[in-house]
Amino acid sequence: MNFSIPNVILLAVLGLLGVGLYGLLVMRNLIKVVVALQILAKGAILALVLAGRMQGAIGIGQSMALTVIVADTVIAVIGLSLAVQVRRHCGTLDVQALSSLRR
Amino acid sequence: MTITAWLIIAVIGLPWVGAVAAWAAGEKRVKLLNILAPCFSLAAGLAALLLIGFSSAKVSLSLPVGGAFGDFSFTPDGLGVALAAIATVIGSLAVIFSIDYMRGESQLSRYYALVLFFIGAMAGLVLTNSLLLMFVFWEITALCSYALISFYNDDPKAVAGGIKALIITQLGGIGLLAGALLVYTQTGSFEISNFLSIAHSLSPILLAWMGFGFLIAAAAKSAQFPFQTWLPDAMEAPTPISALIHAATMVNAGVYLLVRFYPAFREVIGWPMAVMIIGAITTLMAAVMALVANDLKRVLAYSTVSQLGYMVYAVGAGGVMSSQFHLLSHAIFKALLFLAAGAVIHSVGTRDMRQMGGLGRQMPIVRTVFIIGALALAGIPIFNGFWSKELILETGLTNGPFVLYLVMVFSAGLTALYTFRCVWLVFYGEPRTQMHGHDAGIAMRVALVPLAFGVVTSWLLAGPFEHLLSSTLPFHFPGAVSTTSTWEILMEVVTTPATLFALVIIALGLAGWWWRDRLSGLTKALQGFSRFAADSFGFEKINKAIVNEAQTSGEALRVTQTGQLNWNVAGILIGLVAVLVTLLLGAGL
Repeated sequence: MNFSIPNVILLAVLGLLGVGLYGLLVMRNLIKVVVALQILAKGAILALVLAGRMQGAIGIGQSMALTVIVADTVIAVIGLSLAVQVRRHCGTLDVQALSSLRR
Repeated sequence: MTITAWLIIAVIGLPWVGAVAAWAAGEKRVKLLNILAPCFSLAAGLAALLLIGFSSAKVSLSLPVGGAFGDFSFTPDGLGVALAAIATVIGSLAVIFSIDYMRGESQLSRYYALVLFFIGAMAGLVLTNSLLLMFVFWEITALCSYALISFYNDDPKAVAGGIKALIITQLGGIGLLAGALLVYTQTGSFEISNFLSIAHSLSPILLAWMGFGFLIAAAAKSAQFPFQTWLPDAMEAPTPISALIHAATMVNAGVYLLVRFYPAFREVIGWPMAVMIIGAITTLMAAVMALVANDLKRVLAYSTVSQLGYMVYAVGAGGVMSSQFHLLSHAIFKALLFLAAGAVIHSVGTRDMRQMGGLGRQMPIVRTVFIIGALALAGIPIFNGFWSKELILETGLTNGPFVLYLVMVFSAGLTALYTFRCVWLVFYGEPRTQMHGHDAGIAMRVALVPLAFGVVTSWLLAGPFEHLLSSTLPFHFPGAVSTTSTWEILMEVVTTPATLFALVIIALGLAGWWWRDRLSGLTKALQGFSRFAADSFGFEKINKAIVNEAQTSGEALRVTQTGQLNWNVAGILIGLVAVLVTLLLGAGL
């Protein structure tokens, strides 16, 4: 395996996606879940830039990445504010304890 | 843009503008609502009548909506303009009738907005040339129907009836969508005229799939066997809604769909026969159920199902003209019957015919118009129902199997029997309970009298109607444009032996009611059967079983819905792995 630039970036993408998914799988703290989601999204953004470069359309890849960054920021803000509200109303940040809608 | 394009926009757009206006007016301003709604619907009706003069087989209005779905195009051909005129004109009469019928009800703005929204969607459904757009309009009419059946949303029966209607007509929607997508994959566009012109070159098996998909759609929408159970429960709606949506317009959409695509599927093996059999079974079954029902509106609902069965049967037998002509007659006389029944129900406050009786003296106008409608429904000569029904029977005799023809003629006799039972129980005999009926109000009369006039005269349009259809539907009438005059069509009906035979059966049906006391032995012998019929031939039980099954399996699947984030992410990952493995295996092969 050669360590050319695309391969290194691909490894970074896979690493970020893996860390993010692992976080979503095992974390129970809502703040940590939001952080894991952010890491996952960063992996996706990196993948977009990489795909643009490999297709020879750097501009499109980067502009898509910028769009995702904007959406991603909104998600972070809403997720964190939800976490604050959940803590205030339920007194906990444990996602498994949030079950008041279950029968 | 041409005048035709503007007229099409007016027919669809005016009711929708009216709907927004009625919604914006709010429920407090009842007087304004009572002016707004009739004005907009009458204007649309006028535009639809004008549009008949501009009918053609060409696309007259095409709205570009980007490349993905083709243009949204509209064609004012004979089928479309006739049905659009029926929808808007009877729609405006129903709206006028509502002024009296809905007086004092709350939330009138919701009522009028939904009715107007429905009228516009119905006109769009029949005028569009794009299958995709047709599906959209089809679903809008289903939604409006649901919302109006459940208009009294504090009554659990009304809510249940609405949901039942929505779910069953959705089954039909799936059939239509599947058929439309198949058409798209095979022809590369959603254009109906394009599909009809190249249908004969498609593979027969695919055509059969499309044909039976559309047949399911039509059967569910027109309450045909085995989907007939939703229409009687839809009678919880306010009566003008039953007259407009569940008798005169929306339930005709299924018949319209079959007629529209008849040229494409007439060569499909078994398709015309399946259509005829469904029509015949429905006609007979619904006629028997109408005979044993005691709820005035349910009798009319079953008779609607039965008459729609006649139209479906006619399509299967190749009678494009006769089925559409019966559709026209039926829309007029059934709207009249429903509105007159609405006047009765409004005044006495019950729908149970066993409690009525002797109401004729208290409400002479309503009695007169109801009897006119009933004579047409029973198929008594010179009323419009007679001519169109005889045309259907004649088509069925020439093009279909004799057994089905006999079923249809027998049902015609049953129709006469239940119609007169209904008239007698409501208007004649001795009053069975103390009831104070008052005659129809002014707005009710304004709606009833034109319809009664239509019942007596609309058969005179037979010749022009056939000319309208044959001159604008090149795929349905590949030969020369018909120049048959009304007189020739009528003479043809009068002189065939089939007419005489049918009249004898109808007379027997009447005699059966007249001598019902002497036939009491027969009635007793059939009691078990009539209980089975009153029980809707077991179809309600099947319905309930399906609902129960869906609910239990839903409860059983509840354990999979943990609502826990970690489990859901694990599910996503497993799905991702499954997709990747499938792709790898596919690449390996």
